[in-house]
Amino acid sequence: MTRPLVLCHAVWLEVFRRRDFYVLLILMTAMFAWLLSADLFGSSAASRYVLDVGLLYAWGGSLILAVTAAARQLPRDEEIGAVFMMLAKPVTRWDMVFGKWLGTWSVSVGATVALYLAVLAVSALRGRMPDAVSVCQALLLHGCALGVVSALALAISTRMSFGAASTTAFVLLAADYAVVPKIPELIGGETGLRADLLLLLYKGLPHLEVFDLRRRLIHGWGAAPASAILISVAYGVAVTGALLALAWLGYRKKRFPRQGG
Amino acid sequence: MTPAACLKRAAGIFFWERLIHAVGPAMNPIQVEDLAVSYRTRSGVVEALRGVSFSVEEGGVVGFLGPNGAGKTTTLNVLLGFEEPTSGRARLYGCDSTSSIARRRVGFMCEHSRTHPFLTGRELLVMAGRLFGMRGSALRRAADSLLERVGLSGAADRRTGTYSRGMLQRMGLAQALINDPDLVILDEPTSGLDPVGRARVRELIAGLRSEGKTVFFSSHELSEVELVCDRVLMLVAGHIAASGSVDELVRDGESLERYFLKLAAERGGEGGVS
Repeated sequence: MTRPLVLCHAVWLEVFRRRDFYVLLILMTAMFAWLLSADLFGSSAASRYVLDVGLLYAWGGSLILAVTAAARQLPRDEEIGAVFMMLAKPVTRWDMVFGKWLGTWSVSVGATVALYLAVLAVSALRGRMPDAVSVCQALLLHGCALGVVSALALAISTRMSFGAASTTAFVLLAADYAVVPKIPELIGGETGLRADLLLLLYKGLPHLEVFDLRRRLIHGWGAAPASAILISVAYGVAVTGALLALAWLGYRKKRFPRQGG
Repeated sequence: MTPAACLKRAAGIFFWERLIHAVGPAMNPIQVEDLAVSYRTRSGVVEALRGVSFSVEEGGVVGFLGPNGAGKTTTLNVLLGFEEPTSGRARLYGCDSTSSIARRRVGFMCEHSRTHPFLTGRELLVMAGRLFGMRGSALRRAADSLLERVGLSGAADRRTGTYSRGMLQRMGLAQALINDPDLVILDEPTSGLDPVGRARVRELIAGLRSEGKTVFFSSHELSEVELVCDRVLMLVAGHIAASGSVDELVRDGESLERYFLKLAAERGGEGGVS
């Protein structure tokens, strides 16, 4: 277990020492400054709006960070040749995959917690503070979503370059968010093979919508039942595990081009 | 392979490799038997290695020579578990080279050593040590001592992304030695270095020999090999074409370069594999 932790630490250092992380940080600061100063419509609905926009930003920012950081890890190591230094140590391919995932997931969860704290602080200044249990539930499920997303990007990156892997992961995520929840409506009007295929897609693709509790926070619906949260967490762990297994299968026999004699 | 055979193999690797690792000193550092590696390409199958067999005994410096495309890098890739052979086997201290345990007593320096540019030299060594399970003050002492040994103490807290080529080569050597390995595998260690850098690497290799380490290094710099090697293995077109000490291979008045060129011409130099 220690080797994945060493690799995880290296991912943290890499993310924090890259300039693009600071671009995200500056954008976040600018966004919150605007949220704090804006007096929208001069009504009480403005505080709800602030929470809505802030949480949307937290989701968007954390997903961008998770995808870009995860999709970069393995291709970057191959590109600069660092993979040879790592794999010449007693490090297995699974250690590499799991350590990189742990690093990108933990760094995006850390950023998400910071974003939530900032959004909640702005919201509190506007006179609206969601209850603590709901916030913890939302954060927990958000963390599960980030686990799935970073495992997905990492799995794709075992067979693609950074650019191709991150673009593919973003397209899949957008399709997943926009299409998967609508599939039951589509199945309603279909029969036969087409309906079966749609059902297969619905059951086979990850359901990221189950991890999104933003509406509960925004509208103050209170905490969700514990059983529903537990089932969602179990689902997240299972999907992440399946995607990590896929990443390992893509990486375990991979040959790395090395110039020489 | 059946599930039962898979389980047996996994259990075998897990227990047997650990046992072998514990009694390792009795085993040869490198044992390669009938190794063959072939790749499927669009134009057909390319045979990078064809029945390569050799062993490297404990202690001394062994040079692994061959023209470009002879299969040196492929052999090193198999030895270090970067790729699996099509047939045959490679063992490090008795452990199958595909097992991560085999690499516990091995240090490796890659040609054109490049590493994470965002880490400082010291952080890189600490990370490399942790991957071997080293911890605390022992690791810090080992890192400081190696930085001193390769002449990088002054740049220890600079990011490796700012290092020159020569500094990166020396850092590559330092990270290869962090676990105090018994076997050091170096891939073209003097490639791209100026004469001062080459002399420094030669000194380091001589130092490792005097400590009783086994050094196995690939090169096509014949003058370097002549200067530092006790034994030479020559790979031509995927075969071991000659092996022995420099004195055994080279007749009176002949240079290693001349012998090598003659051998490469006789056996067909360009294998076309990198």
